[in-house]
Amino acid sequence: EKNITLDSATRIELSCRLDSKYSHLKSLQVTWKRGNETIEHISKTDDSRGIQLNIVDNSKLGSYYCTVKGEEGEISARFHLQVPHIEGREKPIIGYVGDGAIMICKSYGYTPIAWTWYMTNGTEQIAINDSLRADKYIINRVSANVTHLKILKLTKEDEDVYWCEATFELGKSKGKLKLKVLTLMVPLKPFLAIVAEVVSLVAIIFLYELYSKRKEKCAEDEREFDQIEQL
Amino acid sequence: DEGWAWGVVLHFFLVNVLVMGMLKSFGIFFVAFQEDVGGSSERISWIGSIMSSLRFLAAPLVAVVCGRLGERPTSILGAGLVSGGCLLSTRATSVPFLCGSMGLLLGLGFACLYQAAAVMTAKRCRTRLAFSNAIARSGMGLTFLIAPFTQFLIDFYGWQGTLLIFGGIMLNLVPSSMLLRPAAAQPPENPDHGCLMAKKDPETLDGCLDETTHGEMQLRSAQELPTTEGLAVSHNKDVSGSETMEKPCQETMTKAKRSHKFFKQRGKEDSQPLLDFSPLTDPIFCIFTWSFLFSHLAYFVPIFHLVARARTLGISSMDASYLISVAGVTEMLSQLLSGWVADQNWTKKYHYYAAYLVLCGATNLLCPLATTFPLLMAYAVAFAVFCGGFMALVLPVLVDLVGVQKLHSYLGFAAFFAGIAAVGGPPLAGWLYDYTQTYVCSFLFAGACALISPISFFFEPSAQKWKLKKANL
Repeated sequence: EKNITLDSATRIELSCRLDSKYSHLKSLQVTWKRGNETIEHISKTDDSRGIQLNIVDNSKLGSYYCTVKGEEGEISARFHLQVPHIEGREKPIIGYVGDGAIMICKSYGYTPIAWTWYMTNGTEQIAINDSLRADKYIINRVSANVTHLKILKLTKEDEDVYWCEATFELGKSKGKLKLKVLTLMVPLKPFLAIVAEVVSLVAIIFLYELYSKRKEKCAEDEREFDQIEQL
Repeated sequence: DEGWAWGVVLHFFLVNVLVMGMLKSFGIFFVAFQEDVGGSSERISWIGSIMSSLRFLAAPLVAVVCGRLGERPTSILGAGLVSGGCLLSTRATSVPFLCGSMGLLLGLGFACLYQAAAVMTAKRCRTRLAFSNAIARSGMGLTFLIAPFTQFLIDFYGWQGTLLIFGGIMLNLVPSSMLLRPAAAQPPENPDHGCLMAKKDPETLDGCLDETTHGEMQLRSAQELPTTEGLAVSHNKDVSGSETMEKPCQETMTKAKRSHKFFKQRGKEDSQPLLDFSPLTDPIFCIFTWSFLFSHLAYFVPIFHLVARARTLGISSMDASYLISVAGVTEMLSQLLSGWVADQNWTKKYHYYAAYLVLCGATNLLCPLATTFPLLMAYAVAFAVFCGGFMALVLPVLVDLVGVQKLHSYLGFAAFFAGIAAVGGPPLAGWLYDYTQTYVCSFLFAGACALISPISFFFEPSAQKWKLKKANL
């Protein structure tokens, strides 16, 4: 099985070749299929059977199979022709109410023609138009392969699944990002718990010191009293 | 009083865990900052370097503050600076702001905490200093837990929430700083006793002269004694009797006067040197700093490059990180053992120190021969054993050479010079790699540093003699 990534129109040749240890086998039949339809025009060479494809648009991408049938059985191999994969982030991005959040999408190796951002509103995906709401969304193409979506003045409603879509010559590819919006109270609770613990420790140590100082003073006074009595 | 000594060790342990943990987990914050705040990785790494270098470079300043305020307030101030810096950083929006709030404030706070804790440990644990120091330093071994904890917090709360919670955790150092009780009336034993005596003396003299003069004279302070003596002498009736009684009183009075003077003098001495530059002219200090500097270089450089070297030899990163964790645990155990052995006082502490350094240097020089995983593991274990050995003894050796009274200024300046090495070390190591394209040289360099550093201790006996001659002149 092999994955082949294509981002622009090319001519590609796929070939299936049998291992040399099988070369003694005769009467081999090679078929190339895409889905259910068989492909004609197979070019043959001595030890390989291949096809030539001219990929010009999205419809030509997909999975291609080659099946080699012999007397003993058959072997098949698969090729997946696809557009470049865009990675989003599995872990959610954390933002706070009132602050801004930046979401980054990168394409590795291949330069897309354009980037589009979508937000999921219920079940449908709505494109984000940053000129329509310039005070809320800023889309920045930092470099050829990287895009930033900056959301300002976050509110709880902005907590959503966002998609960054890269448009290539041969198709589109999407990456998934999740935004989580927290209020300040969320980390504040453990913080206040820790502060309460600190204050109580300080109070305990302070009271203990006061208590031991008083004990010492009492003991000292007693000692002085004894000394004076002796004289 | 031993209970409070263990309290000091506990505080030093906590300081090590939290300070070192924060410094080591900075790498995780680095990634989060880069994504959110923006800025090139060079600018962001400035924050980390300011933080870790200020910890050393601010030490002389902290020594002055400790001298003025005392260790406990300085430590509380340090804890306050650290948590304040963390809390302030949650509002950060740009890299320069973070440099100041996180780098500067945290660095200063760490320096305060570290200096105060180290000196207090030296002052409190007189007999078992090496062992207590080793126990406290073993806190660094626990820092490997802090990194995954930080990552978990960042995934849950984002970096702002994590800094907020860290600020709270650092606040825990305030109650533990309160355990640094000033050693009450221990070093200035004579003047203190004299003080108590002086307080009691008027009353005892009251008693003395009451018996001789039938309670007519009321003594309130030692300064009034000459006049009342005169009055007592003028009483003709009891002259003979009072004379015999007066002698012991006079003796106690002069003792009280002498101890008063002594205490006043000491008071003056303490307030004079604000920034004590005398360590810089002391040969003992030069000896110590020389070896401290080189031993720090010998310690940091291999740690940086061990994983990289393992990778170049074809060892997977899982195995390489296994190397690091084994080295960490071994170092912790070896520190404890070395501290315990040094405390037994079979020989002078710096003999052990020099021995460990020489062995460490030899190990580093042999490192290029380690080309397979078992050999590299053996190297890592040996290196960790010897490093743990000499790291545990740094503070006890300094205390042996210098004594506890002047420890603040000596430790401050020594840390300052070590800080210069810490700042220059990693770039130097990186440059070595770039120049020679192999990590072998960094290990050879570290080995050479480790061998150079104990050389200065050969001059120690002659330096002591020179000092004595100077004092006698």
